[in-house]
Amino acid sequence: MRFQQSNLTHLNPIVSRRSRLAAATRAQTSAQPKASRRDDLEITDLRMFPLVEPVSRRRYTVLKVQTKSGIVGYGETVVVHPEDLELAKQLVLGRAATAYEVLRQGLAAFPSLQAAVNMALLDILGQFSRAPIYQFLGGPTRNKARVLMPLSGDSDGALVASLRGAQATGIRAFVVPTPASTAPNHGQSFVSVVRERLEALRTAGGEEVDFVLDAAGTLSPGDAASLAAALERFHLLWFDEPCRLTSLTALRKIASETVTPLGLGRHIYRSGDFQDLLREDAIDVLRPDLAMNGLTQIRKMAALAESYYVAVAPFHAGGPIGTAAALHLAASLPNFFIQQIPIPVAEADRKMRSDLVSGWEERAQEGFAPLPAGSGLGVTINEPALEKYRLADA
Amino acid sequence: MTAAGFMGGLGVERGQAAEPTGNAIANIPIPLGAAAFRDVGSKFKITDMKVFGVSLTPDSDRPYVFVKFETNAGIVGWGESTLEGKAGAVMACVKDFREFIVGSDPMQVEHHWQSMYVHSFYRAGPVMGSAISGIDQALWDIRGKALGLPVYRLLGGPFDSRGVRGYYHASGRTREELARLRENLLKHGITCIKTGIPGSYEWIETHATLRRAVRSLETLREGIGPEIDIGVDFHAKTSPSVASILVKEVEPLNLLFVEEPCPPENVKAMARIAKRSTTPIATGERLIASYSCRELIELGVVDILQTDINHVGGITALWKVAAMAEASGITLAPHACEGPIGGLATLHVDAAIPNFLVQEVCSGIEPGPKEKVWEEWLGFPAMRMVNGRFPLPDKPGLGFDLSEAALKKYPFGGTRPMARVFHKDGSVAAW
Repeated sequence: MRFQQSNLTHLNPIVSRRSRLAAATRAQTSAQPKASRRDDLEITDLRMFPLVEPVSRRRYTVLKVQTKSGIVGYGETVVVHPEDLELAKQLVLGRAATAYEVLRQGLAAFPSLQAAVNMALLDILGQFSRAPIYQFLGGPTRNKARVLMPLSGDSDGALVASLRGAQATGIRAFVVPTPASTAPNHGQSFVSVVRERLEALRTAGGEEVDFVLDAAGTLSPGDAASLAAALERFHLLWFDEPCRLTSLTALRKIASETVTPLGLGRHIYRSGDFQDLLREDAIDVLRPDLAMNGLTQIRKMAALAESYYVAVAPFHAGGPIGTAAALHLAASLPNFFIQQIPIPVAEADRKMRSDLVSGWEERAQEGFAPLPAGSGLGVTINEPALEKYRLADA
Repeated sequence: MTAAGFMGGLGVERGQAAEPTGNAIANIPIPLGAAAFRDVGSKFKITDMKVFGVSLTPDSDRPYVFVKFETNAGIVGWGESTLEGKAGAVMACVKDFREFIVGSDPMQVEHHWQSMYVHSFYRAGPVMGSAISGIDQALWDIRGKALGLPVYRLLGGPFDSRGVRGYYHASGRTREELARLRENLLKHGITCIKTGIPGSYEWIETHATLRRAVRSLETLREGIGPEIDIGVDFHAKTSPSVASILVKEVEPLNLLFVEEPCPPENVKAMARIAKRSTTPIATGERLIASYSCRELIELGVVDILQTDINHVGGITALWKVAAMAEASGITLAPHACEGPIGGLATLHVDAAIPNFLVQEVCSGIEPGPKEKVWEEWLGFPAMRMVNGRFPLPDKPGLGFDLSEAALKKYPFGGTRPMARVFHKDGSVAAW
């Protein structure tokens, strides 16, 4: 029998270049079939467009995948190193787009590229099959997707203003940052500051608005535990990234002391790490980052969570192509709860996002976003806009 | 309307879709919940469901239960719900789901799976699991045909275009028989076989019985040599106490796995066996839905999961079990001891998961009468290996055509129990 070992001990978002190269070589030498029967879906080129939003300076990369058939697919991820793209090309060019799961394995050492390639290949397959991605994946499981948006601002006042502006988008659930942490173990004074912030927002937003409190992994386990316990009756949707994901023991302590749901996972790129958290009863909402996992990997994480009666709420801090992909994912999953969409405050940033997808809008009505219509991703990518907003120094 | 029209697409013909038969669906009530998907689903509709009980011999203890869906686009889908010893119950259960499915969009297989499982309130046991399995397979068959791809390509495979590694059931007693077996396996490129252990077992066993069991496996290993993998099915006829001894004593034989060393309900009992031996443990053929595999994986009991596509909940559930197992480095060797539809369906999942090990078929190295019937039905030697692998179909969907007329020669002979065996004192034994 196997030794059960905590995967969390290996949790390290930075994969060394040497190990990536080794993995790439291994993947290449293994007996993997080239595209043979559906030659028209053979992958012929990968191109990336590093983009930056003019005001927020938010960066993301759009990946364009071309096939012999002429069908082109798009995916999105965070920043990609050009050297990694070249390595990915060695693994992917000449292969069939249909072998997307085989290629996911081959690209496992490059999480960001793996994710973008996966989205782009599903876009291609949806177009080939004349079906929206959610239908290609066995959906729809729902006809619209509940959405969540981060508020921005350094002070309670700025966050209240951000909430008032954001309510016009039709979104009804918001991510609220914890105040800056000045020292570990602030104790009661920190709890009071957070409580004031949340109460100001609830007063401004009304009873129908819901909140996720995001500590972004900045708190000590002790502070996170006191906060989670103190806020139980505020009924947060959940408390996100209460502390760093370095110790299962610390997380288990927080989870065992409170009924406030806990969300974790924006830095998790492997199902096994979620399995540890689920097995330890330390997680209520799986939050894999769309840009670092892609659709298929999150679907596998969701399958795991399903057997624990736990839901998935993918993290997404990128662009509109990622948003479209996320909505397809949502409509393919049985245990989807809510999708984070980063809608910028500045008009210039919103215009860029809309330009990239030829006017498709990231919007919601009464808290839910409609599903994109049409085959593949269901949005039309505007290539001149990709060039226009391309990061100058990349 | 073209197939593309059914997807709301742009006008390129894909798959096998024909003109919709609008009149055929006029009288079919829209299933509860289907209206919510009017604007986001496909235009395909299921127009009819048929359930077939098929007995290869009039006294068969495992009549096949096949499910067929027809659609408004002319596409049909086939699935298998065979549940050994419970044919009548599973046929009735499939029919119970008629109003969940007929009139609905066949493309949203996950929604239908959830609806059948959750709306049945009691969650699933083997009868309901098998009913859902056949329906799920038939929906995937339709999905593949409508989308123009074999199911293993919908799932992102194949990992190996040469096909799916498999094993037959084989054994031999004498040195001569085993030498012939070895020669035969090597000739056919077969890399794995499965066998059982002799007789039935009491709660605690005697020296003579324990030695006989171990010796039978030692003889097999000596006879077929070191290159061919051996799986041994205890068939849950041993108690944890007896299995623990056997599993430990066969360690030097380097078996690929010991299967079901005890019955499946008590995971901790199986854990007790597993933790005292290095012999890999395989189990899962009687488990329903991915939920049932959670504890086995969590407790580190199982090395190889064997969930059966005809019971676990079809392609949807088998894929989820594989995804869960993948996170813990557990492999899959799916069980398949029923008809050819489930067998072929399981190959599609096998070909598209990274943690696939080997695929069972309950057949011998030489095809028997059953395999001849399968070939007569499907037009090709279904579930027969070439160079140790089951070839993958290239056609969309599950990759075969089957006519109702072909099944008529083998009418349903009624439900019969599986083998029933008793100890020397008349008490009930497992086989």
